[in-house]
Amino acid sequence: MATRGDRAAVDRSRWDRALDFLYFGSKALGKRLSLALLDVGAVAVLWILTSYVVIRVSTGEIGYTLLPWWLVALGAVEAAALWESFGRSFGHRVARLELRRADGGDPALRQKLVHWLLWHVGVIPVLPLLLAPPPHERASGLTLRPFTMEGRIPRPWWRTSTGLYMAYLALVSIVAAVSGTITWEDLVRLFTNAGATAKFWRSFLSPDTSIILRTVQALIVTVFMAMTATAFAVLVAVPLSFLAARNLMRGLIGRAIYTVIRGTMSIIRSIEPVVWAIFFLVWVRVELAPFAGVLALFVHSVSDLTKLYAERLESIDPGLIEAITATGANRLQVLRYAVIPQIVNPYISFTLYRWDINIRMATVVGVVGGGGIGQALFFYLKGNLWTQAGTVMLFIIALVWAIDYLSARLRAKLA
Amino acid sequence: MAEPYLVVEHLTKVYERGHVVALKDVSFEVRKGEFLVIIGLSGSGKSTLLRCINRLIEPTKGRIFIDGVEITKLSPRQMRKFRRRIGMIFQHFNLIKRATVMTNVLTGRLGYNPTWKTLLGIFPRSDRELALRNLERVGLLEKAYVRADELSGGQQQRVGIARALMQEPELLLADEPVSALDPATSHSVMQYIEQMNQEDGVTVLASLHFLSLARRYGTRIIALKDGELVFDGAPEEIDDRKFKEIYGEEAEEVEIR
Ligand SMILES: Nc1ncnc2c1ncn2[C@@H]1O[C@H](COP(=O)(O)OP(=O)(O)OP(=O)(O)O)[C@@H](O)[C@H]1O
Ligand SMILES: [Mg+2]
Repeated sequence: MATRGDRAAVDRSRWDRALDFLYFGSKALGKRLSLALLDVGAVAVLWILTSYVVIRVSTGEIGYTLLPWWLVALGAVEAAALWESFGRSFGHRVARLELRRADGGDPALRQKLVHWLLWHVGVIPVLPLLLAPPPHERASGLTLRPFTMEGRIPRPWWRTSTGLYMAYLALVSIVAAVSGTITWEDLVRLFTNAGATAKFWRSFLSPDTSIILRTVQALIVTVFMAMTATAFAVLVAVPLSFLAARNLMRGLIGRAIYTVIRGTMSIIRSIEPVVWAIFFLVWVRVELAPFAGVLALFVHSVSDLTKLYAERLESIDPGLIEAITATGANRLQVLRYAVIPQIVNPYISFTLYRWDINIRMATVVGVVGGGGIGQALFFYLKGNLWTQAGTVMLFIIALVWAIDYLSARLRAKLA
Repeated sequence: MAEPYLVVEHLTKVYERGHVVALKDVSFEVRKGEFLVIIGLSGSGKSTLLRCINRLIEPTKGRIFIDGVEITKLSPRQMRKFRRRIGMIFQHFNLIKRATVMTNVLTGRLGYNPTWKTLLGIFPRSDRELALRNLERVGLLEKAYVRADELSGGQQQRVGIARALMQEPELLLADEPVSALDPATSHSVMQYIEQMNQEDGVTVLASLHFLSLARRYGTRIIALKDGELVFDGAPEEIDDRKFKEIYGEEAEEVEIR
């Protein structure tokens, strides 16, 4: 508690100094005016957001207020006056102030009323604020004091008026964001137009048996794409991971290599496999579709696996390395008996996990022309061949489910 | 008196990271067959001292001689060879958890075998027999083909001792070998170390946290405080005043039986 109070004290003086600077060095003017501006601003933001949501939802148009602007401004000012007089307003909280009686006691209702009424006279024309204390405070006998927790039961902020305000603000902002992206018609269609997908569902239920052989072939191509990409990725990622492990790459040159590899890998990883597939399709030509898909998955897998492997290497227990080194073992022996035992299972586990991802990715990559089942699906969808597309999708679902299950089981065994 | 077996001269270690001076101009000698116990508070530099002696940590300054060889001058390759003569056991045992006890014990022979064979896991028959004998010695013969992480703490430390025994060492470094064990198990482990000391004539350097253990097993005690050597003498010489000097005014001696 003590440290919290100290910090508050520091922050308070910093605020004071900043406010003084902004308002010509007049403490009374600066403090009250900035409080009023903060509160009016806060209320106005809330008002505008609320209006936006209401207008958007009810009329579908974009508008910020149903009332004339002068009325909005007046309303905001009035709300701020009430907030500052009867509660601890947003501005009070920001500046860590509170309204107290001169003797430090809780304000009486009568004092609050006086404070509120004279607030209009004292704050709106601004000039009376140059008096210290300003008229509304002089008449009500209330002053703004640094907020203290002394002799008070702390209440969590979300149970205060500001907490309510923040919650409301968050809610309205979310609604505003949603109403900005989804129109009323969209929603109506979502709930009334489900029938349009009927042909889609029907096709699921009546698979086209004549294409099963072709589909299974494409499925095998997809699995092979994933396998090939994963296998080659492992070959590259395992050695790279040692160069990308911070604890193994000591010294200036080591650190430089580490940084370059980690950096490159995160850039590669941040580009979607689909994008890589398009890139490689352009490079190796469309006739070699599965090959382009494999290359895309390979590149992405290398970067992903290198990172996963390297992170595992970074968390190995250095104690075992010490122990094996202490027997007189050389570097290769330390690698074989202290490092590898700690990483084999995690490496295999990561590889399975990546293979699992690659099968799903291979389908997606296929859609842009990367070969395999994805390409078949795309072909049927493009031709409005719903029955065939549905059949292909059934196979994809079965495959993904099976691989997911298999790899999860294997990984559980390895853990 | 015979030539000292281990000589530490003006040993200083500064960790660049954090600018910690872990050892300050530490000098002492150990004769062959001694059981030297190192005591001191946490952070006083015990682990650092032990690791400087087999150069798991490179000393910043000072010289270390073992059996007349200035090991601080050895090339990395020569040092690797020399380490075969120095066994080491650790507070947290540092075993290969997923490997069998047998494999763990055999790693004590890595320095004696050709690299390519050990990479394939091939050890000569004589080594395997030695491993079984050493496991028998520490009472773990029937656990030879059990995974190391299935053993209790005390059993794991005994595997550590068997691994050190495989090196047929002349010097054993033990860094808080019983700190992770309960009192009864501590004594059983300490007795195996004592046995190495008395029967095989292995010189022992062990850091211990409990003074009662140090008194019971040590033939000599040195004490470190903030990296400086503040005591070097017989166990009996540590009286109340010395104790407070080493551990600070607040400390109370605790017994471990
Ligand atoms: N790798 C390191 N890098 C930087 N400082 C270190 C490193 N290892 C140890 N130190 C510091 O060196 C000092 C001595 O540490 P050391 O581990 O030798 O103490 P210790 O007596 O073994 O303590 P404990 O009883 O806790 O094991 C400590 O202040 C520690 O923080
Ligand atoms: Mg230590």
